[in-house]
Amino acid sequence: MKTVKMYTTPTCVYCKMAKEFFKKNGVEYEEHDVANDEKAREEMIQKSHQMGVPVIDIGGEVFVGFNQREIAKALDIK
Amino acid sequence: MNYDYIILGGGPAGVAAAVYAARKQMKTLLITESFGGQSIVSADIQNWIGDAHISGLALAEKLENHVRSFPDMVDVKIGERAVSIQKTHCTDPKRPCDFEVTTASGETFAGKAIMLAIGARRRRLGIPGEDRLDGKGVAFCSTCDAPIFKGMPVAVVGGGNAGLEAVIDLLPYATKIYLLQYNETLKGDPSTQEKIKAHPNVEILFNAQTKEVLGDAMVSGLAYTDRKTNEEKKLDVKGVFVEIGSVPNSEIVKNIVDLDTYGQVVIDSKHGTTSQPGIFAAGDITDDPYKQNNISVGDAVKATLAAYGYLLNREKKSPATEQKTAS
Repeated sequence: MKTVKMYTTPTCVYCKMAKEFFKKNGVEYEEHDVANDEKAREEMIQKSHQMGVPVIDIGGEVFVGFNQREIAKALDIK
Repeated sequence: MNYDYIILGGGPAGVAAAVYAARKQMKTLLITESFGGQSIVSADIQNWIGDAHISGLALAEKLENHVRSFPDMVDVKIGERAVSIQKTHCTDPKRPCDFEVTTASGETFAGKAIMLAIGARRRRLGIPGEDRLDGKGVAFCSTCDAPIFKGMPVAVVGGGNAGLEAVIDLLPYATKIYLLQYNETLKGDPSTQEKIKAHPNVEILFNAQTKEVLGDAMVSGLAYTDRKTNEEKKLDVKGVFVEIGSVPNSEIVKNIVDLDTYGQVVIDSKHGTTSQPGIFAAGDITDDPYKQNNISVGDAVKATLAAYGYLLNREKKSPATEQKTAS
Protein backbone atom coordinates (compact mmCIF):
# COMPACT_ATOMS: atom_id res chain seq x y z
CA MET A 1 0.00 0.00 0.00
CA LYS A 2 1.31 3.47 -0.87
CA THR A 3 1.76 5.93 2.01
CA VAL A 4 -0.90 8.63 2.04
CA LYS A 5 -0.20 12.01 3.58
CA MET A 6 -2.90 14.66 3.64
CA TYR A 7 -2.67 18.38 4.39
CA THR A 8 -5.92 19.86 5.66
CA THR A 9 -7.65 22.68 7.50
CA PRO A 10 -10.36 22.02 10.10
CA THR A 11 -13.03 23.86 8.11
CA CYS A 12 -12.38 22.36 4.68
CA VAL A 13 -15.26 20.30 3.39
CA TYR A 14 -13.30 18.61 0.60
CA CYS A 15 -10.80 17.44 3.23
CA LYS A 16 -13.66 15.81 5.12
CA MET A 17 -14.91 14.20 1.91
CA ALA A 18 -11.42 12.84 1.23
CA LYS A 19 -11.11 11.49 4.77
CA GLU A 20 -14.48 9.78 4.52
CA PHE A 21 -13.49 8.27 1.20
CA PHE A 22 -10.27 6.90 2.77
CA LYS A 23 -12.15 5.49 5.78
CA LYS A 24 -14.74 3.83 3.57
CA ASN A 25 -12.03 2.18 1.52
CA GLY A 26 -9.77 1.23 4.45
CA VAL A 27 -6.95 3.55 3.38
CA GLU A 28 -4.62 4.58 6.20
CA TYR A 29 -3.46 8.17 6.04
CA GLU A 30 -1.42 10.68 7.96
CA GLU A 31 -3.14 14.03 8.46
CA HIS A 32 -1.46 17.42 8.95
CA ASP A 33 -3.56 20.40 9.98
CA VAL A 34 -1.89 23.35 8.23
CA ALA A 35 -4.02 25.86 10.16
CA ASN A 36 -2.13 24.97 13.34
CA ASP A 37 1.12 23.45 12.11
CA GLU A 38 3.30 26.00 10.33
CA LYS A 39 5.96 23.48 9.42
CA ALA A 40 3.36 21.37 7.66
CA ARG A 41 2.03 24.47 5.92
CA GLU A 42 5.47 25.26 4.49
CA GLU A 43 5.92 21.61 3.49
CA MET A 44 2.55 21.64 1.72
CA ILE A 45 3.34 24.84 -0.21
CA GLN A 46 6.76 23.47 -1.22
CA LYS A 47 5.30 20.17 -2.37
CA SER A 48 2.31 21.51 -4.25
CA HIS A 49 3.55 25.02 -5.17
CA GLN A 50 0.18 26.39 -4.14
CA MET A 51 -1.89 27.38 -1.12
CA GLY A 52 -5.16 25.46 -1.35
CA VAL A 53 -6.30 22.46 0.67
CA PRO A 54 -6.59 19.55 0.63
CA VAL A 55 -3.22 18.45 -0.69
CA ILE A 56 -2.93 14.68 -0.87
CA ASP A 57 0.44 13.00 -1.30
CA ILE A 58 0.06 9.39 -2.44
CA GLY A 59 3.47 7.72 -2.52
CA GLY A 60 5.10 10.93 -3.78
CA GLU A 61 2.38 11.77 -6.31
CA VAL A 62 0.82 15.09 -5.24
CA PHE A 63 -2.87 15.91 -5.76
CA VAL A 64 -4.42 19.31 -5.10
CA GLY A 65 -8.10 19.17 -4.16
CA PHE A 66 -10.21 16.03 -3.89
CA ASN A 67 -11.03 14.43 -7.21
CA GLN A 68 -12.41 11.05 -6.23
CA ARG A 69 -11.76 9.54 -9.65
CA GLU A 70 -8.07 10.49 -9.68
CA ILE A 71 -7.48 9.52 -6.06
CA ALA A 72 -9.19 6.16 -6.54
CA LYS A 73 -7.03 5.53 -9.59
CA ALA A 74 -3.82 6.40 -7.72
CA LEU A 75 -4.78 3.94 -4.97
CA ASP A 76 -6.11 1.21 -7.27
CA ILE A 77 -9.57 1.43 -5.74
CA LYS A 78 -12.31 0.22 -8.04
CA MET B 1 -31.06 0.18 -20.53
CA ASN B 2 -33.07 3.15 -21.75
CA TYR B 3 -33.74 5.24 -18.64
CA ASP B 4 -36.99 7.16 -18.28
CA TYR B 5 -35.15 10.06 -16.70
CA ILE B 6 -31.49 11.01 -16.51
CA ILE B 7 -30.72 13.63 -13.89
CA LEU B 8 -27.50 15.60 -14.18
CA GLY B 9 -26.44 17.06 -10.84
CA GLY B 10 -26.59 16.10 -7.17
CA GLY B 11 -27.45 19.40 -5.51
CA PRO B 12 -30.85 20.18 -4.01
CA ALA B 13 -32.49 20.30 -7.47
CA GLY B 14 -31.06 16.99 -8.72
CA VAL B 15 -31.94 15.24 -5.48
CA ALA B 16 -35.49 16.58 -5.38
CA ALA B 17 -35.92 15.41 -8.98
CA ALA B 18 -34.68 11.93 -8.06
CA VAL B 19 -37.02 11.60 -5.06
CA TYR B 20 -40.09 12.59 -7.06
CA ALA B 21 -39.07 10.49 -10.05
CA ALA B 22 -38.63 7.44 -7.81
CA ARG B 23 -42.09 7.92 -6.33
CA LYS B 24 -43.53 8.12 -9.84
CA GLN B 25 -41.68 4.87 -10.61
CA MET B 26 -39.62 6.44 -13.35
CA LYS B 27 -36.46 4.39 -13.93
CA THR B 28 -33.88 7.04 -13.15
CA LEU B 29 -30.14 7.61 -13.40
CA LEU B 30 -28.50 10.42 -11.43
CA ILE B 31 -25.01 11.49 -12.52
CA THR B 32 -23.04 13.80 -10.25
CA GLU B 33 -19.52 14.67 -9.15
CA SER B 34 -20.73 14.85 -5.55
CA PHE B 35 -23.86 15.54 -3.54
CA GLY B 36 -24.82 18.79 -1.88
CA GLY B 37 -24.35 21.42 -4.55
CA GLN B 38 -22.61 24.73 -4.09
CA SER B 39 -23.50 25.21 -0.43
CA ILE B 40 -21.49 22.12 0.52
CA VAL B 41 -18.66 24.48 1.53
CA SER B 42 -20.92 26.45 3.85
CA ALA B 43 -20.11 26.02 7.54
CA ASP B 44 -23.59 26.97 8.70
CA ILE B 45 -26.70 27.18 6.50
CA GLN B 46 -29.50 28.93 8.36
CA ASN B 47 -32.27 29.03 5.77
CA TRP B 48 -32.74 25.39 4.79
CA ILE B 49 -36.39 24.93 5.74
CA GLY B 50 -36.70 22.50 8.63
CA ASP B 51 -33.19 23.04 9.98
CA ALA B 52 -32.33 26.19 11.94
CA HIS B 53 -28.66 25.34 11.47
CA ILE B 54 -27.07 22.77 9.21
CA SER B 55 -23.58 22.52 7.71
CA GLY B 56 -23.17 22.11 3.98
CA LEU B 57 -21.63 18.70 4.50
CA ALA B 58 -24.48 17.51 6.73
CA LEU B 59 -27.00 18.72 4.16
CA ALA B 60 -25.10 16.87 1.44
CA GLU B 61 -25.28 13.66 3.50
CA LYS B 62 -29.01 14.04 4.05
CA LEU B 63 -29.57 14.62 0.34
CA GLU B 64 -27.46 11.64 -0.68
CA ASN B 65 -29.20 9.36 1.84
CA HIS B 66 -32.59 10.37 0.50
CA VAL B 67 -31.59 9.52 -3.08
CA ARG B 68 -30.11 6.21 -2.00
CA SER B 69 -33.31 5.22 -0.22
CA PHE B 70 -34.76 4.27 -3.64
CA PRO B 71 -32.15 1.76 -4.87
CA ASP B 72 -34.64 -0.03 -7.12
CA MET B 73 -35.67 3.10 -8.99
CA VAL B 74 -32.62 5.38 -8.94
CA ASP B 75 -29.15 4.38 -10.11
CA VAL B 76 -26.40 6.73 -8.95
CA LYS B 77 -23.14 7.51 -10.76
CA ILE B 78 -21.05 9.53 -8.32
CA GLY B 79 -17.62 11.06 -9.03
CA GLU B 80 -18.74 11.50 -12.62
CA ARG B 81 -20.06 14.28 -14.83
CA ALA B 82 -21.74 14.57 -18.19
CA VAL B 83 -19.67 16.06 -21.01
CA SER B 84 -22.25 15.92 -23.79
CA ILE B 85 -25.93 15.36 -24.50
CA GLN B 86 -27.01 14.22 -27.97
CA LYS B 87 -30.47 13.82 -29.41
CA THR B 88 -31.10 10.30 -30.75
CA HIS B 89 -33.89 8.43 -32.56
CA CYS B 90 -35.31 11.65 -33.99
CA THR B 91 -36.57 9.88 -37.12
CA ASP B 92 -40.28 9.73 -36.26
CA PRO B 93 -41.72 13.26 -36.41
CA LYS B 94 -44.65 12.25 -34.20
CA ARG B 95 -42.42 11.01 -31.39
CA PRO B 96 -39.94 13.31 -29.57
CA CYS B 97 -36.26 12.39 -29.56
CA ASP B 98 -34.47 10.24 -27.03
CA PHE B 99 -31.15 11.40 -25.61
CA GLU B 100 -27.69 10.01 -25.10
CA VAL B 101 -25.52 11.33 -22.28
CA THR B 102 -21.75 10.84 -22.42
CA THR B 103 -19.69 11.13 -19.23
CA ALA B 104 -16.12 12.31 -18.62
CA SER B 105 -14.90 8.72 -18.36
CA GLY B 106 -16.47 7.89 -21.73
CA GLU B 107 -19.56 5.92 -20.69
CA THR B 108 -22.83 6.60 -22.52
CA PHE B 109 -26.36 6.35 -21.15
CA ALA B 110 -29.66 6.47 -23.03
CA GLY B 111 -32.69 8.28 -21.63
CA LYS B 112 -36.14 9.47 -22.64
CA ALA B 113 -36.09 12.66 -20.61
CA ILE B 114 -33.30 14.72 -19.08
CA MET B 115 -33.17 16.93 -16.00
CA LEU B 116 -30.47 19.61 -16.06
CA ALA B 117 -29.56 20.38 -12.46
CA ILE B 118 -25.82 21.01 -12.71
CA GLY B 119 -26.11 24.47 -11.22
CA ALA B 120 -23.47 27.12 -11.46
CA ARG B 121 -19.83 27.65 -10.64
CA ARG B 122 -17.88 30.58 -9.29
CA ARG B 123 -17.46 33.62 -11.51
CA ARG B 124 -13.86 34.62 -12.12
CA LEU B 125 -12.41 38.13 -12.34
CA GLY B 126 -11.07 37.64 -15.86
CA ILE B 127 -7.96 39.73 -15.23
CA PRO B 128 -4.28 38.95 -15.90
CA GLY B 129 -2.60 36.82 -13.24
CA GLU B 130 -5.80 35.24 -11.98
CA ASP B 131 -5.44 31.91 -13.79
CA ARG B 132 -1.66 31.74 -13.49
CA LEU B 133 -1.79 32.31 -9.73
CA ASP B 134 -4.93 30.23 -9.09
CA GLY B 135 -4.21 28.32 -5.90
CA LYS B 136 -0.99 30.27 -5.49
CA GLY B 137 -2.73 32.93 -3.45
CA VAL B 138 -5.81 33.33 -5.65
CA ALA B 139 -8.52 31.47 -3.75
CA PHE B 140 -12.17 30.66 -4.33
CA CYS B 141 -13.04 28.89 -1.05
CA SER B 142 -12.54 31.01 2.04
CA THR B 143 -14.02 28.36 4.33
CA CYS B 144 -11.38 25.92 3.08
CA ASP B 145 -8.32 28.05 2.67
CA ALA B 146 -8.57 31.00 5.10
CA PRO B 147 -6.31 29.37 7.77
CA ILE B 148 -3.45 29.07 5.28
CA PHE B 149 -3.25 32.87 5.14
CA LYS B 150 -2.45 33.15 8.85
CA GLY B 151 -0.29 36.21 9.50
CA MET B 152 -0.68 37.56 5.95
CA PRO B 153 -2.46 40.55 4.39
CA VAL B 154 -5.20 39.55 1.93
CA ALA B 155 -7.81 41.05 -0.39
CA VAL B 156 -11.41 39.92 -0.83
CA VAL B 157 -13.13 40.95 -4.06
CA GLY B 158 -16.91 41.32 -3.94
CA GLY B 159 -19.26 43.08 -1.53
CA GLY B 160 -22.18 40.65 -1.63
CA ASN B 161 -22.91 38.08 1.07
CA ALA B 162 -20.21 35.70 -0.18
CA GLY B 163 -17.58 38.46 0.02
CA LEU B 164 -18.65 39.52 3.49
CA GLU B 165 -18.59 35.91 4.69
CA ALA B 166 -15.10 35.48 3.26
CA VAL B 167 -14.00 38.46 5.35
CA ILE B 168 -15.53 36.83 8.43
CA ASP B 169 -13.72 33.55 7.63
CA LEU B 170 -10.42 35.42 7.28
CA LEU B 171 -10.71 37.63 10.39
CA PRO B 172 -9.13 35.10 12.79
CA TYR B 173 -6.12 34.59 10.51
CA ALA B 174 -5.22 37.47 8.19
CA THR B 175 -3.35 40.50 9.53
CA LYS B 176 -5.15 42.88 7.19
CA ILE B 177 -8.17 42.39 4.97
CA TYR B 178 -9.00 44.73 2.09
CA LEU B 179 -12.57 44.31 0.84
CA LEU B 180 -12.90 45.58 -2.74
CA GLN B 181 -16.32 46.51 -4.00
CA TYR B 182 -16.99 47.66 -7.57
CA ASN B 183 -19.86 49.97 -6.58
CA GLU B 184 -20.34 52.52 -3.85
CA THR B 185 -22.25 50.31 -1.45
CA LEU B 186 -21.97 46.82 -0.03
CA LYS B 187 -24.78 44.45 -0.99
CA GLY B 188 -24.52 41.78 1.72
CA ASP B 189 -26.65 41.49 4.86
CA PRO B 190 -26.54 44.63 7.05
CA SER B 191 -25.80 42.61 10.20
CA THR B 192 -22.64 41.12 8.62
CA GLN B 193 -21.67 44.53 7.24
CA GLU B 194 -21.73 46.00 10.74
CA LYS B 195 -19.49 43.25 12.09
CA ILE B 196 -16.96 43.88 9.33
CA LYS B 197 -17.03 47.66 9.44
CA ALA B 198 -16.35 47.64 13.18
CA HIS B 199 -13.20 45.53 12.86
CA PRO B 200 -9.86 47.41 12.87
CA ASN B 201 -8.18 44.91 10.49
CA VAL B 202 -10.72 45.44 7.71
CA GLU B 203 -10.50 48.23 5.15
CA ILE B 204 -13.32 48.58 2.63
CA LEU B 205 -12.39 50.02 -0.77
CA PHE B 206 -15.39 51.21 -2.80
CA ASN B 207 -15.44 51.89 -6.55
CA ALA B 208 -12.55 49.49 -6.98
CA GLN B 209 -12.07 47.77 -10.33
CA THR B 210 -9.50 45.00 -10.17
CA LYS B 211 -6.84 45.11 -12.91
CA GLU B 212 -4.22 42.43 -12.28
CA VAL B 213 -3.14 39.86 -9.76
CA LEU B 214 0.58 40.40 -9.24
CA GLY B 215 3.28 37.90 -8.32
CA ASP B 216 5.85 35.47 -9.72
CA ALA B 217 5.51 32.05 -8.11
CA MET B 218 2.97 33.23 -5.53
CA VAL B 219 0.64 36.23 -5.20
CA SER B 220 2.41 39.38 -4.02
CA GLY B 221 -0.18 42.04 -4.78
CA LEU B 222 -3.40 43.17 -6.43
CA ALA B 223 -3.62 46.14 -8.80
CA TYR B 224 -6.89 48.02 -9.08
CA THR B 225 -8.32 51.29 -10.38
CA ASP B 226 -10.25 53.69 -8.19
CA ARG B 227 -13.21 54.29 -10.51
CA LYS B 228 -13.90 57.71 -8.99
CA THR B 229 -10.46 59.23 -9.37
CA ASN B 230 -9.16 56.91 -12.12
CA GLU B 231 -6.10 56.42 -9.96
CA GLU B 232 -4.19 53.14 -10.38
CA LYS B 233 -3.43 51.58 -7.02
CA LYS B 234 -1.64 48.54 -5.70
CA LEU B 235 -2.25 46.49 -2.57
CA ASP B 236 0.50 44.38 -1.03
CA VAL B 237 -1.39 41.18 -0.35
CA LYS B 238 -0.53 37.48 -0.41
CA GLY B 239 -4.04 36.26 -0.96
CA VAL B 240 -6.88 37.29 -3.29
CA PHE B 241 -10.27 35.75 -2.48
CA VAL B 242 -12.67 36.03 -5.41
CA GLU B 243 -16.33 36.21 -4.34
CA ILE B 244 -18.18 37.82 -7.26
CA GLY B 245 -21.08 35.52 -7.91
CA SER B 246 -21.55 32.60 -10.25
CA VAL B 247 -21.94 31.50 -13.87
CA PRO B 248 -24.29 28.71 -15.00
CA ASN B 249 -22.77 25.36 -16.04
CA SER B 250 -24.68 25.41 -19.30
CA GLU B 251 -21.85 24.91 -21.83
CA ILE B 252 -22.74 21.28 -22.53
CA VAL B 253 -26.30 22.18 -23.55
CA LYS B 254 -25.71 25.41 -25.43
CA ASN B 255 -26.46 23.79 -28.79
CA ILE B 256 -29.52 21.90 -27.63
CA VAL B 257 -31.55 24.33 -25.46
CA ASP B 258 -32.07 28.11 -25.51
CA LEU B 259 -29.89 30.16 -23.14
CA ASP B 260 -30.35 33.80 -22.11
CA THR B 261 -27.62 36.44 -22.40
CA TYR B 262 -26.10 35.28 -19.11
CA GLY B 263 -25.87 31.69 -20.34
CA GLN B 264 -28.76 30.58 -18.13
CA VAL B 265 -31.13 27.92 -19.43
CA VAL B 266 -34.45 29.56 -20.26
CA ILE B 267 -37.30 27.66 -18.58
CA ASP B 268 -41.05 27.91 -18.37
CA SER B 269 -41.37 28.58 -14.67
CA LYS B 270 -44.61 26.61 -14.33
CA HIS B 271 -43.21 23.33 -15.67
CA GLY B 272 -39.43 23.61 -15.81
CA THR B 273 -39.50 22.85 -19.52
CA THR B 274 -36.76 24.13 -21.85
CA SER B 275 -36.86 24.90 -25.57
CA GLN B 276 -36.07 21.21 -26.26
CA PRO B 277 -38.97 18.81 -25.60
CA GLY B 278 -37.79 16.15 -23.17
CA ILE B 279 -35.15 18.32 -21.51
CA PHE B 280 -36.17 19.88 -18.21
CA ALA B 281 -34.13 22.13 -15.94
CA ALA B 282 -34.18 23.46 -12.39
CA GLY B 283 -31.96 25.31 -9.94
CA ASP B 284 -29.05 27.66 -10.50
CA ILE B 285 -28.50 26.66 -14.13
CA THR B 286 -31.85 28.24 -15.04
CA ASP B 287 -33.01 31.82 -15.52
CA ASP B 288 -35.05 31.70 -12.31
CA PRO B 289 -34.11 34.94 -10.52
CA TYR B 290 -33.61 33.56 -7.01
CA LYS B 291 -30.66 31.24 -6.54
CA GLN B 292 -31.73 29.42 -3.40
CA ASN B 293 -31.56 25.80 -2.25
CA ASN B 294 -35.22 25.74 -1.30
CA ILE B 295 -36.30 27.18 -4.64
CA SER B 296 -34.13 24.69 -6.54
CA VAL B 297 -35.94 21.90 -4.72
CA GLY B 298 -39.42 23.22 -5.54
CA ASP B 299 -38.56 23.96 -9.16
CA ALA B 300 -37.09 20.49 -9.62
CA VAL B 301 -40.27 18.96 -8.21
CA LYS B 302 -42.38 20.94 -10.68
CA ALA B 303 -40.10 19.96 -13.56
CA THR B 304 -40.15 16.29 -12.57
CA LEU B 305 -43.93 16.17 -12.37
CA ALA B 306 -43.96 17.81 -15.80
CA ALA B 307 -41.44 15.23 -17.04
CA TYR B 308 -43.70 12.46 -15.76
CA GLY B 309 -46.58 14.00 -17.68
CA TYR B 310 -44.37 14.24 -20.75
CA LEU B 311 -43.48 10.54 -20.57
CA LEU B 312 -47.13 9.53 -20.02
CA ASN B 313 -48.16 11.52 -23.03
CA ARG B 314 -45.31 10.24 -25.17
CA GLU B 315 -45.55 6.58 -24.28
CA LYS B 316 -49.33 6.58 -23.71
CA LYS B 317 -48.73 4.62 -20.51
CA SER B 318 -47.03 5.24 -17.19
CA PRO B 319 -43.38 4.26 -16.69
CA ALA B 320 -44.56 1.85 -13.96
CA THR B 321 -46.78 -0.20 -16.31
CA GLU B 322 -43.99 -0.30 -18.83
CA GLN B 323 -41.65 -1.90 -16.28
CA LYS B 324 -44.25 -4.50 -15.42
CA THR B 325 -44.69 -5.46 -19.05
CA ALA B 326 -40.95 -5.60 -19.54
CA SER B 327 -40.32 -7.92 -16.58
